[in-house]
Amino acid sequence: MMEKREALAQMFSAKGSRINTNRGEAYYNNLMQTMTLRLQELEKSPAASKVSIEAVLETEGLNRRDFMKWASAACAALMLPSNFTPLIAKAAELMNRVPIIWIELQDCAGNSEAILRSDSPTIDELILETISLEFNETLMAAAGHAAEAHLEEAMHTFKGKYLCVVEGSIPLAMNGLYGTIGAKGETFEEHLLRVAKDSAAVVAVGTCATFGGVPAASPNPTGAVGVQDVVKGKAIINIPACPANPANITGTILHFVLTGQVPELDHLNRPKFAFGYRIHDNCERRAHFDAGEFVEEWGDAGAQNNFCLYKMGCKGPMTFNNCSIVRYNSGTNWPIGAGHGCIGCSEPQFWDKYAQERPMADTHFKAPTGGVEKTVDEFGLGLLTAAGIGIGIHAAASLIAGKKEGDE
Amino acid sequence: MSYKKIERMTGFMRLNHWVVAISMVVAIVTGLYIGHPYYQSFIADPAVDKYVMAWNRLAHFIVAIIFDVSSIVVAYLYFFSRFEKPYKKLLPTLKNIKEFFDVLINLLTLNRVKKFDSSHTDSFNSIFFFVFHMMLIWMLLTGLQLYVHGLASGISSIGAWWPWILHVATDWTLVATGGTNMDVRLSHHYTMYAIIVWVMFHVYYQVWRTIFWKEGDISIVVGGAKYVKE
Ligand code: HEM
Ligand code: SF4
Ligand code: SF4
Repeated sequence: MMEKREALAQMFSAKGSRINTNRGEAYYNNLMQTMTLRLQELEKSPAASKVSIEAVLETEGLNRRDFMKWASAACAALMLPSNFTPLIAKAAELMNRVPIIWIELQDCAGNSEAILRSDSPTIDELILETISLEFNETLMAAAGHAAEAHLEEAMHTFKGKYLCVVEGSIPLAMNGLYGTIGAKGETFEEHLLRVAKDSAAVVAVGTCATFGGVPAASPNPTGAVGVQDVVKGKAIINIPACPANPANITGTILHFVLTGQVPELDHLNRPKFAFGYRIHDNCERRAHFDAGEFVEEWGDAGAQNNFCLYKMGCKGPMTFNNCSIVRYNSGTNWPIGAGHGCIGCSEPQFWDKYAQERPMADTHFKAPTGGVEKTVDEFGLGLLTAAGIGIGIHAAASLIAGKKEGDE
Repeated sequence: MSYKKIERMTGFMRLNHWVVAISMVVAIVTGLYIGHPYYQSFIADPAVDKYVMAWNRLAHFIVAIIFDVSSIVVAYLYFFSRFEKPYKKLLPTLKNIKEFFDVLINLLTLNRVKKFDSSHTDSFNSIFFFVFHMMLIWMLLTGLQLYVHGLASGISSIGAWWPWILHVATDWTLVATGGTNMDVRLSHHYTMYAIIVWVMFHVYYQVWRTIFWKEGDISIVVGGAKYVKE
């Protein structure tokens, strides 16, 4: 799905995922000033949403101290020095000033669900409740023409200021008719282009919106693609994973609130603060990997002793995400911690290339020659057999020919 | 009938050949383990002091480095060899193209037709070796791309230039193989089989030449010379 132009741009744009966390006093003083000014500016603008973080925290039985603990963690996550903590807290309080239009395309709404349905929401999740959601198809009560009018109004009022958050892939096959929305039967593609056009930046949330995800899995009947394949000439931030971690969504929006800019991105447009880590290098089972101690079967002695899940198909060695560090559900656990290998959910084409329950070498892929799907080793052994037969025939023929020559 | 001795490989070149051959075996054995750990570590020690996978990976990288060095040596020999310089045999001149097909015809007619001077390196074998060196370079580039995944921090004990240069030199393999980390890994694994096929044919062909040409070709890589009828 990658276009040639992008492929070329990508080719030599290697930046690594290193973030310089020590840019000197002058840089940070400057940054602090910019952020303070921006927050003052925001504070003057009317709260777009009536929900304040204080009120939400109180109903959840959390106090200011919990909130400040969260702020210092968020500060570290964004790789800022600790004296930025009060600014982070302030920014979180002002989250309700940043207008957000959240659109829902071809997906399972799992990212919204992950944020909304947790029974002990983290502060990250609570903050997402306070953001000024001007429009959200999944949550709002309005429907049909009323919803349409509401969207128009929000886009008009906050022109050039709102963040366009996208969840779900865009089906392009059959002129996009696999997904239409609203009273006018707009296709998802038209809908996305219309909303993205006047936004300050586009945030693609979840793997469907970033890389096409599950809907784009082979044979991709709906021609599903990610936002970056449709929207051009806009700042796009990709927050993949299935579901995207609320901590990363909040972190990105916080960064936007604080600076008005998008955070540093990697070559797949993922924020480096979140996707600059390889699962395999921050995995608690890594010692077992190096030792060659693997779970061989679900529930075996290895599984009971937390051995490495590589042979059960863990794709941690090829996957970049921070879930091994921030985890999910209030930091309770994460997939590998719970005993299942990583399925590479934050990588492009994850469903076809990563999400199998066996190591890469044992997985059936389309062979380079086409035809039936085979494992690399099956294909390789086929190749070796063919070569062996060829050599055998040539050797036998040579011997017979040689004998005849001798007879003459 | 007497035989003339023709020097073909210096001691150093022969050493290089066997180092590459042994490295290849080690790379295959360890590479397959990395892809699918095919034996259990029956070592009673706790995980902290047995490094079965880590040793395999280490061995894999060490032979990879030996490959690097030997490839640089071979690249140098392409231009500055004391013997027939291989690059001269790779150029698509009429003479080389003719020689290439003459050697191929010799192979396909089971040595019935032989219309070229077999005492020196021929165009067919030069191109055949060139293919091998290209595959080795491909293994190197895809291997280093897999390797740099482990340097996500962008820093290394020898400095930030190392991961940087690896990214600059090998990130294009991501695009070339299909866009994902997995594609690079698959390509690394597939190419291994292509290399094994190459080795099979190489060994067969050298033995075949020795038997049918009766010029002792196999001893080039042992004693350094072959023997041609005068
Ligand atoms: C001709 C020589 C080589 C052969 C036959 C070979 C073979 C293999 C194989 C079969 C794998 C397993 C792939 C899989 O199924 O996951 C592998 C992995 C790997 N190879 Fe090679 N390889 C060779 C050269 C190299 C070179 C030159 C490098 C450069 C550093 C390299 C670096 C790697 C790395 C980093 C991995 C992945 C290891 C991991 O993620 O733990 N290889 N190799
Ligand atoms: S469980 Fe997965 S991520 Fe963890 S060490 Fe094993 S292979 Fe790596
Ligand atoms: S462990 Fe892997 S598959 Fe699971 S959430 Fe993290 S990145 Fe996604």
